[in-house]
Amino acid sequence: MALKASLLFLCIGTILFAYRRNLSYLRYFQQEEYNNKRFWDWLRTNRASDTRGTAIFAFVILTASLSLPNIVIAISSTLALGTLVITAYYLEGDPRSTGKIKLNMTERATKTSWVSLGLLILISAVPLTWLCCPCGTTNATIIKTAIVGIIVAQATPFALMLAALALSPAEKRLQEHYLGEAKQIFKDVAPFTIGITGSYGKTGAKAALGDLLNQTLGPTFWPKKSINTVMGITRTIRELMKPTHKYAVIEMGAYNIGSIKRLCDFTPPRAALVTAVGIMHLERFGSPENVYKAKSEIAQAVAADGILVCNGDSPNARRMAKEHAKKTTLLYGFDLSAGPLDAFASDISFDEKGTSFTIHWNGERYPGQTPLLGRPALLNALGAFTMACALGAKPAFAVACLGNLPPVDNRLVLDKTSTVSYLRDAYNSNPTGFDAALEVLRALPAERRIVITPGMIELGDQQFEQNKNLARVAAGSCELFFLVGHTNREAILAGLREAQFPATKIIMSDTRDEAFMLLGEHQRKGDLILIENDLGDLHEGKVRF
Amino acid sequence: MAAVRRTRVAIFFGGRSVEHEISVITALQLMQAIDPEKYEITPVYISPNGSWFTGEQLFERAFYKRVPSALSELQEVSLLPKPGVTGLITLNRDGKSATGSVIPVDVIIPAFHGQYGEDGCIQGLIEMTDIPYTGSNVVASAVTMNKYVCKVFLQHHDIPALPALLIRREDAQNDIKERCEWITKQEGFTSFPLFVKPCNLGSSIGVSRVTDPSQLAPALAKVFRYDTQALVEPCVSEIMEINVSVREHEGIKASVVEIPVSQSGVLSYEEKYLRGGGKKTGQSEGMASLTRVIDPQDLDTELRDAVIAHAKKAFEVLGCSGVARLDFIVDLATGALYFNELNAFPGSCSFYLWVRSQPRVLYTTLIENMIDTAMKTRGTIASLDRDIGLKALK
Repeated sequence: MALKASLLFLCIGTILFAYRRNLSYLRYFQQEEYNNKRFWDWLRTNRASDTRGTAIFAFVILTASLSLPNIVIAISSTLALGTLVITAYYLEGDPRSTGKIKLNMTERATKTSWVSLGLLILISAVPLTWLCCPCGTTNATIIKTAIVGIIVAQATPFALMLAALALSPAEKRLQEHYLGEAKQIFKDVAPFTIGITGSYGKTGAKAALGDLLNQTLGPTFWPKKSINTVMGITRTIRELMKPTHKYAVIEMGAYNIGSIKRLCDFTPPRAALVTAVGIMHLERFGSPENVYKAKSEIAQAVAADGILVCNGDSPNARRMAKEHAKKTTLLYGFDLSAGPLDAFASDISFDEKGTSFTIHWNGERYPGQTPLLGRPALLNALGAFTMACALGAKPAFAVACLGNLPPVDNRLVLDKTSTVSYLRDAYNSNPTGFDAALEVLRALPAERRIVITPGMIELGDQQFEQNKNLARVAAGSCELFFLVGHTNREAILAGLREAQFPATKIIMSDTRDEAFMLLGEHQRKGDLILIENDLGDLHEGKVRF
Repeated sequence: MAAVRRTRVAIFFGGRSVEHEISVITALQLMQAIDPEKYEITPVYISPNGSWFTGEQLFERAFYKRVPSALSELQEVSLLPKPGVTGLITLNRDGKSATGSVIPVDVIIPAFHGQYGEDGCIQGLIEMTDIPYTGSNVVASAVTMNKYVCKVFLQHHDIPALPALLIRREDAQNDIKERCEWITKQEGFTSFPLFVKPCNLGSSIGVSRVTDPSQLAPALAKVFRYDTQALVEPCVSEIMEINVSVREHEGIKASVVEIPVSQSGVLSYEEKYLRGGGKKTGQSEGMASLTRVIDPQDLDTELRDAVIAHAKKAFEVLGCSGVARLDFIVDLATGALYFNELNAFPGSCSFYLWVRSQPRVLYTTLIENMIDTAMKTRGTIASLDRDIGLKALK
């Protein structure tokens, strides 16, 4: 009787633990957009299968098989095991409220979670019947329970993938229904639509243009953050689009050839803004020419009487403007050496209040400032300014509005505390952005400058060289360097060494958390700390379950 | 003897203004202070997108952290703009059709700050239902919300106010350079610094202190993020603010005065609402937490009396009711006193001033008096003869 009660306690503990663990995996599954292949790749490369739970149960099996059957020992060890499992449940933390990217309990997440839990029960049903069979010693019962525990712990991620598979036809139907609804809303509202794409800068440019149009020309709809997929845009249209919206600014992400075309069919653009065509995500496309082709879909979608605004500093964006010229084709940028620009900024300087500049447009000079920091942010603002003016905004008022642009999360944001200041440039970094962040780091007043970074990723065969280059620039911009993780360690060390950065000023760590702990120990009053490319959970390196 | 039925009070709060959260704080304070033996409370939360909800959860501060996702736990309600319904109608899940049941309400406390709630909008809707409500009526609320109109009206009644220029958003969008040049050519506006602020907003949102001509355009653009009209005022460089609360209960009465202490020269939104008595963390207590000197003993009596006299007069000529707070500024260089603005429904109901006044008025009493006045006002309106106009078509 007492043994049964203690086994029940253990079962409840295991169920609690399984539930929490299910959510923990679900967080990563959600970040991989419920894509089984991507989740499986993540599981494999991170070897993220369960260790904690399995270790506890394995220890029990070992002890039980070695010791003599004794009811007192059996009960007390079962209780101890139950306590351990419940402790593991608490240690796990709630993924809905912890972690850098929290688990968002959407309808889909809830469904996936419950179906996978149901599957887990099915998976463990067979060994459970075997467990219920009365034969065997007390030790055997404990061993069987522990085996079920191991099965549950190991099967959790697979149950999620199975659940996604089982739910996929219903999910697809639902998505199509939502898509149809969103298309109808968009058609009824019929806003003047501006599509934005680019290898980088598109989210910042979207925020700047959305804000600017809203202030200058009329009510503007734009999906917040980096929402740039059909499903993300569908959801935002259904929830937030209003009949009063006169303009829509849609960020269009290129995940492969054809994805921008699909977005253009969904929300047909009458104008397009191309922020850059570079080498980001080269791995997805195979060649720089394919990247160009994928991005060109946006220019093809704009009718001949439409507007095309391209970043003239990006050679391929300039090429796009030339190859797909529209009735109004405009170039913006900083660098006049590559050819003429319709809008360009000069007299650029940085201070703690933001970036000051003079915009040259139609032969007039418009001095201004923006609270956003760095050249990439100014370039986005300039692109937004060019588009807004092409659509009829008055340039002087548009420049005045740039003075109040809201900050974009984690994109070179200055965060001052009473002792130190942080420059947070945590979003997926690229060479231009990293270089610009270092420029701001050098320009702002500080007692001492620190860089903390794992380097840049997704740069194909240029990854080593680019990280090395930026490390060289960083060596001349800071006094202390925190190198996070192993992905770019060799490249960054090579760059720092080449620039004769003192080895004693390089602090290496395996994880982000460790780096920040070390930073806490080293930092002192007056420090300015650049946090560059604080990668998402998926690339953070080791995850332990 | 049968127990007397408690008066059913609906507290309306939240709303579609930038001061949404401040209203939530004020309402939570009201719910705690109100006498539960006399009043039965129905909290009515208006979400930022304008839907109305009620539910027990609204008494808990922690609930608001889970908004908007937790709104589905609440009952959606509305008010029909016609007399005789005597309460809130409850809506179905679709938020468009009525369930058929009514939550009875005897009196409404509109505990809003800012647009749609303190500017006559909600007052107009309630007026249509014949349900008594606390605070100022439609006209007084509307006039006090528009800083420009209020100033001009009070100047007409010999209450001194700083000169002000009104700039419309559309004009600025068309030619901001011309507007900026026009401002700096007006008498009293030729030198900097100048204050640029939204005409119809409180809480210091969108306010800039402009120190040179190049900052004027961005400051105006900042206002036009939030408002369609901007107000430009000369900046009193050596400034002291004096606030006083005025209420209507057996005549018009003024509270003790207070001097808010500002760290940066202009009270920012953060200073007003987020500093929580100097601490950076912790729960915000709204206006009740601002660093201030209440009833300063060393204040010049003549100045204090002038503030109180102007405040009571302003309250009267504007036709305010309930509890209001009037903010004045003193130019320390010249000693001149100016009316600055009137809050028809001040943060925390200015209770922190009334508990220090003579005779002392507790928050609970303050609310009770407000409700009594509301009932009385409704009675007066009900006794007006309205049948007179219904004969022409007979």
